[in-house]
Amino acid sequence: MTPPDTTVVGVSDAARAALVDLLSAYAARRPGWDPEAPVRVLEAEALVAGRPGIVDVIADAGGRLVHVVLGLRSPGDQPRVVPDGDDGVIGEFEDHDGPAVVIDATRDPEVAAMLLQQVSGEEVGPNLVRLLREDPSSVTLAMEDRISFTVYNHIVDGPRPELEVFLALDETGFNHLAAPVGVWRRAGRDLGVVQEYLPGASSGYALAMTSVRDLYASGGPPELAGGDFGAEAHRIGTMTARMHLCLDKAFGRRTGDMAQWARDVEASLRELEPAILDRPEVVQVLGELRALQVPSEAIRTHGDFHLGRTCRTEQGWYVVDFAAGGRPTSNAGAVVAPGGEGPVFRSPVADVADMLWSFGLVARTAADERDPSGREGLSELAQAWETRNRRAFLAGYLGVPGISGLVPPGRDALRVLTEAFELVRAAVHEARSNRD
Amino acid sequence: MPGSPPFGRARPMPSAMPTGTAASGRTVGTAPEGDGAAAPKPGRGPRLRRAVGTQSQVRRGAGTRLPGIRPTALPAKGGADWYRRGVFYEVHTRGFFDANNDGMGDLGGLRAKLDYLEWLGIDCLWLLPYYPSPLRDGGYDISDFLTVHPDLGSLDDLVEFLDDAHRRGIRVIADLVMNHTSDQHPWFLESRSSRHNPKSDWYVWNDDDQRWPEARVVFVDVETSNWTWEPQREQYYWHRFYSHQPDLNYENPDVVQAMFGVVRFWLDLGLDGFRLDAVPYLFQRDGTTGENLPETHALLRQLRKEVDSAHPNRVLLAEANQWPADLVDYFGDGDECHMCFHFPLMPRLFMAVRREQRFPVTEILAQTPEIPSHCQWAIFLRNHDELTLEKVTEEERDYMVAEYVKDPRMRRHMGIGRRLAPLLDGDRRLAELLHAVLFSLPGSPVIYYGDEVLMGDNVYLGDRDSVRTPMQWSPDRNGGFSRADFAQLYLPPLMDPVYGYEAVNVEAQQRNPSSHLHWLRSILQTRKQFPVFGTGAFDLVSCANPSILAYVRSPDPGGTAGPGGRNRRAGRGVRPGRGARGGGRGEDGPGTENPVLCVHNLSRFAQPAELDLARWANRTPVELLGRIPFPTVGGATYGVTLGPYGFYWFELLGEQSAEPGIPNPGMPA
Repeated sequence: MTPPDTTVVGVSDAARAALVDLLSAYAARRPGWDPEAPVRVLEAEALVAGRPGIVDVIADAGGRLVHVVLGLRSPGDQPRVVPDGDDGVIGEFEDHDGPAVVIDATRDPEVAAMLLQQVSGEEVGPNLVRLLREDPSSVTLAMEDRISFTVYNHIVDGPRPELEVFLALDETGFNHLAAPVGVWRRAGRDLGVVQEYLPGASSGYALAMTSVRDLYASGGPPELAGGDFGAEAHRIGTMTARMHLCLDKAFGRRTGDMAQWARDVEASLRELEPAILDRPEVVQVLGELRALQVPSEAIRTHGDFHLGRTCRTEQGWYVVDFAAGGRPTSNAGAVVAPGGEGPVFRSPVADVADMLWSFGLVARTAADERDPSGREGLSELAQAWETRNRRAFLAGYLGVPGISGLVPPGRDALRVLTEAFELVRAAVHEARSNRD
Repeated sequence: MPGSPPFGRARPMPSAMPTGTAASGRTVGTAPEGDGAAAPKPGRGPRLRRAVGTQSQVRRGAGTRLPGIRPTALPAKGGADWYRRGVFYEVHTRGFFDANNDGMGDLGGLRAKLDYLEWLGIDCLWLLPYYPSPLRDGGYDISDFLTVHPDLGSLDDLVEFLDDAHRRGIRVIADLVMNHTSDQHPWFLESRSSRHNPKSDWYVWNDDDQRWPEARVVFVDVETSNWTWEPQREQYYWHRFYSHQPDLNYENPDVVQAMFGVVRFWLDLGLDGFRLDAVPYLFQRDGTTGENLPETHALLRQLRKEVDSAHPNRVLLAEANQWPADLVDYFGDGDECHMCFHFPLMPRLFMAVRREQRFPVTEILAQTPEIPSHCQWAIFLRNHDELTLEKVTEEERDYMVAEYVKDPRMRRHMGIGRRLAPLLDGDRRLAELLHAVLFSLPGSPVIYYGDEVLMGDNVYLGDRDSVRTPMQWSPDRNGGFSRADFAQLYLPPLMDPVYGYEAVNVEAQQRNPSSHLHWLRSILQTRKQFPVFGTGAFDLVSCANPSILAYVRSPDPGGTAGPGGRNRRAGRGVRPGRGARGGGRGEDGPGTENPVLCVHNLSRFAQPAELDLARWANRTPVELLGRIPFPTVGGATYGVTLGPYGFYWFELLGEQSAEPGIPNPGMPA
């Protein structure tokens, strides 16, 4: 039953009632969605009338705000499907244009192209639409090799934090981003985003793995190996520093509290991996952290930074996928605003630590992949590769003019902070993998 | 001076000929048949005779020599744009084959080996400088522009060679140094002798050595200045290269005319074009670096007009070691040079393989602008020079070169010329992969002599000579290069167990059907069947795996093909009609050609690749070397797997019309 407070545009009464069932049917098709959750339609708008048509729905599903785009085709219409997609059929309904087969708009390339046109004015050929990514909260389509169109399915009231960060960064002139083409927004809610698509991109993770695999096969010092990643790590470092400087420009900074960070690190470790607190090197780092008396800054950070959040094209390096919901993976170095609301400000060193940790992860992953039993003894090479690339990344990061204003002064302070934050990041990762 | 050769001094004639200059005033007498020569070969046109005093041209019968008149070669056959489709072969005459057994290769030797070059599938030879020279810079220091170095033969030898080459459909271009001459050139000997003589203004003289300080010294390891003191004139002369190579003064119209005359001379003789050495340096201007000046381009436009008016279908290939954005200026608006070497690409091909990532290559291609119609890049893996950083762009403009230099393996090779095989540690699979990339990237490939059999080098001979050892023809003495005494040879052939002539030679590889030589020949044959490799557009294919380099070469009706990044053309997705099943060869024009998908694995490990072929949905890839159809393109991505250093070239056939009884090869059984 459609409650009286539903905003409905262009959709008949009978059709509105059917929307609830359709949304449940839709939920059944989406991994991570609960088909049993009670659905309350909040908004429904016919973006495109006729056939094929588009109805855009916002609903409350079990307490969560969801956004679903439905395509309407005449019964008997030839189904059009994105490559490798299923037919996307959700159900049927009828409105003043007659009966319709309801499909997932992101599964039908023609409908998706129409939607893009509605939302951004861009026109693409429907035969060049494909599914790039789908997770429980969004779907991303690649169109014509030049446009990436993301529809948000889990939405929030108000601006979406990761989109806000992305847009603000773009405004500051940070150009290591897949440039935004347009944002789909209605009544203050971000429903989707249209961006430049980066063709021929490879993730930083894939590139780093190529380098480590090469090293494991050839041995020797990593800086002499053919696949040496050092120069690229340096470039990623430079890009990271620029990102931080632009985030500072966009959102300003807050004063960090080193003592609080030390307490937070210890608390996180206690919660996630208490055994680690007994290790002598951990005890030492925490001690050094507590003793640090240097000023520190906090900015809005990437929040989920690692090699997989970078990619390279022939134009250079890019940053992608800011922390979902603006919530960083690890709370290390966070400055909590009074009341705990609002965006999270963190020490930029936390992003740095997350990236440094990911170098280690790559080295270990490739070693496990190549030599699961550990007989080959790749740990020395892994360590060498990690050290080489950590240094190169840091050199690139610290080499950017102005970054010294954001990071604590003194090499020791930086070292202690990164070590401590890395411990937390590693513990978060451990906890997650144990859970899955 | 119209008509007569620009430089009037007597040229030495072969001893069998009566002496006298070309402008001797002798009238062409009776037909050569009177000399007892053979009748003209069938198919040749009638003899042309023109009055003496103009550029006399007479076509000779085989084996005849007309006294006093400069003979010329038959023109090459074939249409315009030949240089966009051809395969070039860079050859060092002195090192190729010795026909007169004096220990040095010569033009007669080159001619004798035309069978081999034709068999190999070469379309155009590029001869390194063959002019008289004191040889202090590999022949690029020229002391006479209008004849052949006596070690290498005579003008008649050259003409006979050109004739023979053209008859086989092989064209020939030669190096031409416009920027400077040897200090032994008579022009300079005269110019330097005093401040006032007919040639005093033919070179660039100054009272001090302070002018044009922004112009960098190219050979920094040898020269400290671009100026050198001349005591006879008590002035300095300008030289962008070695001090024994004074720069000509192109401000002087006599110089311009003289050099245009040189160009005319060789083109009249039948040469099919030139590699213009060191073109960026022709002019100097205060406050500039003296490179790529507008005056240089104006001169090239003039030159091109000259060449086109009298000799259409000849090619001007610029050697301009510049960043691609500056390089394209040498094409002008299609009114300057026809071809340019794409220098930055070469080290990046090697870096890409070292790194096992495509970005070093795709980056430079993305930064390479589109070029005018009927122009073409010349691309190569190796050449006669080491990778001299001085001649390459400034380090800060190309981080890749900086990394290339710092790479310890590459650094070993800096300053010393290396051939392809030793640079790759003799890895044959890698050599094949790099050739596959070279032959499928946009541009006309240039093969360095000997690399087709994976010849080695001898670094102990010094930086240039290391890669100029004699061509290895057979396991016989001297590698079959010469029957002279070993001690007479201009350079010793390679004799080590890995690359020595007994192990590596043309004869053995010709006999062995699985040799690299046969592989190369057969891939060139395949390449020739698909004109799209030469003239087609270039579109990168997306693939998340960084070790995969994939792209599509598609027919380009507009003739504007170039790598310029993502090439958006209206003509994309040309669907050939019925009959495409057999694969269009383009004989009827681009509408009958199919696109070709090239996928290369730059890694020494086997790799999976998901290619984004949405643009080519429903086409059936047919692998070119085996002509076996692969599954039809459908789905979000197309998966292929490649072995170490593997590659695939696929013709993308259009959608099949429904013909009963003929199964679609893409469907599973």
